[in-house]
Amino acid sequence: MDDGRIKRHPILEFKEGRKVHFMFDGKELEGYEGEPIACALHAAGVRVLRESPGLKRPRGFFCAIGNCSSCLMTVDGRPNVRVCVEKLREGMNVTTQKGKGVLLADN
Amino acid sequence: MKVMPMTWARATSSRIADELPKTADAVVIGGGVIGTSIAYHLAKKGFGRIALVERSYLACGSSGRCGAGVRQQWGTKLNCLLSIDSVKAFERMDEELGYSRSIEFKQGGYLLLAYTRREAEQFRENVRLQQELGIPVSLLTPSEAREIVPILNTDCVHLATFCPTDGHANPFHVTYAYATAGKRLGVKIHTFTEAYDIMTESGKVEGVKTNKGTISTDVVICAAGPYSGVVARMVGLDIPFYPERHQILVTEPVEPVLGPMVMSFSRRFYCQQTPHGSFIMGMGDPKEKPGFSVSSTWEFLVEMAEEITKVLPPVGQLSVVRQWAGLYDMTPDAHPILGSTPCAGLYLACGFSGHGFMLAPVTGKLISEIVCDEEPSIDIHGLDLGRFERGELVIEPSVV
Repeated sequence: MDDGRIKRHPILEFKEGRKVHFMFDGKELEGYEGEPIACALHAAGVRVLRESPGLKRPRGFFCAIGNCSSCLMTVDGRPNVRVCVEKLREGMNVTTQKGKGVLLADN
Repeated sequence: MKVMPMTWARATSSRIADELPKTADAVVIGGGVIGTSIAYHLAKKGFGRIALVERSYLACGSSGRCGAGVRQQWGTKLNCLLSIDSVKAFERMDEELGYSRSIEFKQGGYLLLAYTRREAEQFRENVRLQQELGIPVSLLTPSEAREIVPILNTDCVHLATFCPTDGHANPFHVTYAYATAGKRLGVKIHTFTEAYDIMTESGKVEGVKTNKGTISTDVVICAAGPYSGVVARMVGLDIPFYPERHQILVTEPVEPVLGPMVMSFSRRFYCQQTPHGSFIMGMGDPKEKPGFSVSSTWEFLVEMAEEITKVLPPVGQLSVVRQWAGLYDMTPDAHPILGSTPCAGLYLACGFSGHGFMLAPVTGKLISEIVCDEEPSIDIHGLDLGRFERGELVIEPSVV
């Protein structure tokens, strides 16, 4: 993982697809189609994925198997997405979640 | 490391406190919200030495498994009166019981949805009755309902009714609030203590046998929820009463988006968002057979998810955290059985038919009045056990 890109996962298998672009908190980032969103963020140097709902402390990449709630983010308006197990697609809009996430009426 | 001896000390002292008394002035069977409320209210009246026996831990049964709604929108005068009184009690419960935490009473209202013309007619009738009794309820058009719940899908909704002072609370906190307030007044609470027989002598209560010993007493109050039929049979009483499983689930939390409890009788669902942010929802199953099973089924998970994503579509984005089940203690008329029995000294507080949690405050008050031989502050002679024999049922049309 020279560039900080995680290529091997203990249980998930992911092939490096084509290069895609996605938005993270208003910035355009690159990643590979089909890799977990968290991997693309990690490779781009993003280490803080959310803040804890109670004490507002930073939370980073932790269990990497969709279990721990450390990486809950809002993806395309959907709150509480576990980005460590959500596959990256072209044009996704990933945002850091404040508080517990917001359920949108028109989603 | 210093925590260890502390924990030990606490465990030991609570074990000493758990020593079962040989005699008591009253024994309450059942450590749910009803039993703890009764014990507290009796102690408040200074009734004497009160022991509460619970076969497992506090709120382990229907209380801790319920949807925890508190509503005043009922179809019978009696249920309206009982719930008006209870809502007032919930509003000042933290203060009255000196509870150091919070019972998490959220008065976000109840939004009831009518899906058929017949149901709409029933709602109009209910609202007339409720308004007469001073309940601040109003009839709403589907679009007005959407103003209160923006995530509501109003397809097929004929009309809705809304009462802003309804709501929900945390059933664990309410039970513990009553238990701790009761203890402060001298109530002895014995958990993991199962009553297995009530001793009688010429039609009068003499005592209660438990797995931890026998307590002599003249007064036994049965607040055993769905197991009340079992308790009643200890003195040879057959009450028209059966347990029925109801399932429920909870989602992950999100920021507040749903104020009221949303409920439909014809579609048999209810859904609320707790102050914590999670959604709690349940649905009745008309095919459910009477029984004591509290196991969960995958069918419920699927049916509940399908139903709620139709009614509150954005909720479909949320993950379910867990599901569980609990028992309703059903009576033929969906009203509780409150009061004395042909066995002198045995009182019943059971048969709440799925709304015992919300009636717990008023039930504790009324039963304590009856046990103390006072005139009950609400006329509940129609809720006695004898009504089934007399054929004087008070049918509640508005239940899930």
